[in-house]
Amino acid sequence: MRILLGKELGQLGRSRAALVSATLIPLLLLVVVPIPQLIAFSKAPINFPELPGGGPPGLQSLRGADFFVQLLYPLLVTVCGMIVPSLAASYTIVSERERRTLELLVALPVRLTEILFAKLLSILILGVVVTVPLFAITATVVVILGVAPAAQVALLLVPLLSAVVCSTCLSLLLTLLARDFRTANNVNGILFFPVLTVTVTVLGGVGGSARFVVLGVVLLAIGAAALVAGARWITFERYLE
Amino acid sequence: MASALAFESVTKRYRNGVVALDGASWSIPVGARTCLLGPNGAGKSTAIRLLEGALRPTSGSVTLLETTPDAPDYPAARRRTGIVPQSPGMYADLSTDDYLTLVRRLYGRGDVARVIEAFGLAPYRRTMLAQLSGGFRRRLLLAAALLSEPEVLLLDEPTVGLDPVAAHDVHAFLATAMRGRTTLLCTHNLAEAEALCDDVVILRAGRVLLHEPLAELRARVAPRLRVRARQPVASLVAALARRGLAADIDGDAAIVSVEARGAAPDLLRALLGEGIDVFEATPLEPSLEQLFLDVVRS
Repeated sequence: MRILLGKELGQLGRSRAALVSATLIPLLLLVVVPIPQLIAFSKAPINFPELPGGGPPGLQSLRGADFFVQLLYPLLVTVCGMIVPSLAASYTIVSERERRTLELLVALPVRLTEILFAKLLSILILGVVVTVPLFAITATVVVILGVAPAAQVALLLVPLLSAVVCSTCLSLLLTLLARDFRTANNVNGILFFPVLTVTVTVLGGVGGSARFVVLGVVLLAIGAAALVAGARWITFERYLE
Repeated sequence: MASALAFESVTKRYRNGVVALDGASWSIPVGARTCLLGPNGAGKSTAIRLLEGALRPTSGSVTLLETTPDAPDYPAARRRTGIVPQSPGMYADLSTDDYLTLVRRLYGRGDVARVIEAFGLAPYRRTMLAQLSGGFRRRLLLAAALLSEPEVLLLDEPTVGLDPVAAHDVHAFLATAMRGRTTLLCTHNLAEAEALCDDVVILRAGRVLLHEPLAELRARVAPRLRVRARQPVASLVAALARRGLAADIDGDAAIVSVEARGAAPDLLRALLGEGIDVFEATPLEPSLEQLFLDVVRS
């Protein structure tokens, strides 16, 4: 497993296209887009009109910069955590299948579970390594501007890491469903939509900082379900088809 | 003698309903060099895939070095087996050195420098696999299969798609590599099988038509004579037909099967007695191609 993980990480490191896609989008979502908004929110707080009946718990009492810290930024963080692994999976898993290089691995003394586990682990590592430092930049700005306490900002790591894990596990389903790069992108979109809906629902439906924990648990549950379903159905025969 | 690999009543039905193997049973003893022959779709590559553990049989059992793919000691058996896959895709981001190092680490043994030297890969150590020519790709696959000095070699069409020079090089490597190793050579190339193997398994529509040593197979086939005479070949064929022997025409010669080699002098005397001036009679060794066609057509 360790040997195959080294191979996967080495190949990911050498893939410029994978690295550029996996870095550029998080850079936009976690740094370039939120920091100007954060500064704008902190300088000129916007008070939103009261919703009829107070609105769902997650949208009540959100004033000014709270809207950014409790709703907008967590949404960006979660989306980013979902995107990076799915992009990496397209490069590591689907391209291997599309180019038939998997046949080379099958001829070596390795099991399918080892091959896939190494790929998923490399995707997970890339997701964490790319997103956490970028998250840290914006989180530091949030704390410096005094928009939210450090503990509350640190809690955002829960949805971020959960999203990375969830998306990595969903990659296993991608392995089963997509035989080429274009299909992988389409399937990513299909898998992404329900997760995004769930994220918005949880962020808007649960009040206070508990929303981050609830969102993390929901994302991990989706990931676990994908992992179980994928592990149950995937075989070399299906993967080699 | 212990079997290095065995198929017992193996049926493999793919998800699309295609039956690649249909109750096939055969085994290869330790040390045997066996070729697996069959027309397209006979189940040859499926047999290799079952042995490498990439596929599971629908029913029956496949054994490699006395263990099955589901057994805990199967990975150890796989590490004693070198496999040359049929025309796999090649990595564009792994060099020859990277790939062979990966293979050595997965097998847990092997001398990369030795196989690079032996297979003439030294100038291509840093070349990405996708940039290697067809011949060098095949050399690389052979080098990878032999790196760990395996006891068993599984070769899936090792020269398919190669030009004659590259195929000749690969044959030379195979002749050395197969010495003293249990080998299953899956091929369409009958000359290759004849040159490299002692036994033959012929598959057709997923069933084993025949499994025996090449020498025995040859002995079963009626000897043939290539006969030339001063008269037109049609007269020669007619004379043979009068004696109940059907002949094929090959240029100015007639090719005829006789019951046994010992029958040839009587036949020649009879032809001369009829006024057919036979001036050449050459016994023909049955080629594997002929044997293969006879078995498959029957």
